[in-house]
Amino acid sequence: MNSKIVKDILIVAMMKSVPDLKRQPLLPIILGLVGALPLFFIIVFGGQIIYGLIGAIVGSVGFIGLMAAIQDMAGDRYLKIREMLVAMPVHPLSYAMGISLGSLIVSSPGLLIFVALALWFGALTVSSLLWSIIILILCWGTLSSLGFLISTYLQRATPNTLSNLASLLGLALVFLPPVYYPEEMLGNFTWAALLFPTSNAVGLIRIYSGFLGVSVTMIFLRWLILLATMTACGVATLTKARWRES
Amino acid sequence: MFGCKRRLGLIEAVESVNLSKVYRDKETVEALKDVTISIRKGELFTLLGPNGAGKTTFLRIISTQLLPTKGEAYVLGYDVLTQPNEVRKHIAVVPQDVATYGNFTPWDYSYYFAVLRGMSGKEAKESAEKALKAVELWNLRNRTCETLSGGEKKRAIIALALASNADIFMLDEPTSGLDAVARRSVWAILREMVEQGKTILLTTHIMEEAEIVSDRLAIINNGKMIAEGTPEQIKHLAKEKFRVIVEGNLSSLGIAEDNDRATRFGSKWIIYLEDEEEAIKIVRTALKKGLKAETAPITLEDVFVKVVGGEAE
Repeated sequence: MNSKIVKDILIVAMMKSVPDLKRQPLLPIILGLVGALPLFFIIVFGGQIIYGLIGAIVGSVGFIGLMAAIQDMAGDRYLKIREMLVAMPVHPLSYAMGISLGSLIVSSPGLLIFVALALWFGALTVSSLLWSIIILILCWGTLSSLGFLISTYLQRATPNTLSNLASLLGLALVFLPPVYYPEEMLGNFTWAALLFPTSNAVGLIRIYSGFLGVSVTMIFLRWLILLATMTACGVATLTKARWRES
Repeated sequence: MFGCKRRLGLIEAVESVNLSKVYRDKETVEALKDVTISIRKGELFTLLGPNGAGKTTFLRIISTQLLPTKGEAYVLGYDVLTQPNEVRKHIAVVPQDVATYGNFTPWDYSYYFAVLRGMSGKEAKESAEKALKAVELWNLRNRTCETLSGGEKKRAIIALALASNADIFMLDEPTSGLDAVARRSVWAILREMVEQGKTILLTTHIMEEAEIVSDRLAIINNGKMIAEGTPEQIKHLAKEKFRVIVEGNLSSLGIAEDNDRATRFGSKWIIYLEDEEEAIKIVRTALKKGLKAETAPITLEDVFVKVVGGEAE
């Protein structure tokens, strides 16, 4: 990756976050509350908050990764920033990662609160923090690529269609798999947790935090699947994304 | 092919050869049909046409946003199809109907886009300042776009393009939705850019705009280019050179109302004439009979209606 691509990722991220943070300071709180909403139900219905907190962290990161590009596409019907950048010397990868990183920056206050709470309640341990950050970056990268790839195939979709699709994908990748609830609840189908980058990430974080005991082979397999999913999504985005409309 | 031409300075700013585009969605739409255009460096070239004529499609292909179905296109000799990254270094685009983001300021737009072009922070700041001063938004640079007027928002977007320091600007209906005063201030900015040696490809459906700001223009309708030249050359396409506007009954002037040179708009008539003396004679007769009448040379709009109307038939 050349330095211009990396520099542009940071500029797009700044462009997509700094003006909002400066002029809409309530936005990070609202985004944090959206991520915390499932936690509310977990507590009310007697679920374990430690599962919920890890779920809230992974769910927020995954949701942002997946949604950023699709929501950006909907907004771009009017703002046309993406349209202008297509005609500029900006690599699509810079844009894909930049918009997602921008959303992550705006949501970071909420995320930091979840991480602090997770450490406080023992859902995360200090020793597992580094592994957790690596896992979160991989999960975010995977879903950012996927979201961007999908968005480039929806250049003529209406904002309503884009919004509905974003909600459906969020449901399918963040709320249906065992992200906010323990994968043990799936019984004989716990293997399904490995198929989703979100639930796989939650599983790995729980393993490193000492809440899920599995064999070394299983840890290896989980890492392999997470890395393979990220690679597949990244390659698909680089080769199949329709940055330029056909 | 273009290497030698480029060295000799013979490269055109924009060239298209038989450029065609077919959209295949629910129904097949032939948006552009064999359009061949050549735009010289340092001129303001306007694509004039009704809504849905194919102007935006042409601009989006030339600006590397959209792939054509057939044909060739070059920007400064770089192939739009195979060398999009080279093309993108030299162009700045303002799409049609751009809304400004409420939380952005004119400064945010100009500065971030300049940095994304590869300028250093210092260069981007200088460029943004110059652009915002050129569009007279420097004093409003830190106001959020949601608090700006429609004209100011448009100028903020034009400043974004100006700050890019690109060689060629492609502006898709930049004055649509603006009032007359705001529109004229955009025209002044465009002409200023041309005087500084920039090339502008403009699309519009506003005849007055095309007539006043363009060095050359092309009329495009139903995806086909139907005329090209300076505004004066285009006006000469019609054999009639004058028009008389009369309010009242034409037959009282001895002119048949089913005359194919006359068009009725309520109580008013427009009569197109080849001869100025004949036009003056009709006006005098009308005034003597107490009717309101005036004559003037035909406008680009008159020719456009005739040319596009003829095309439609």
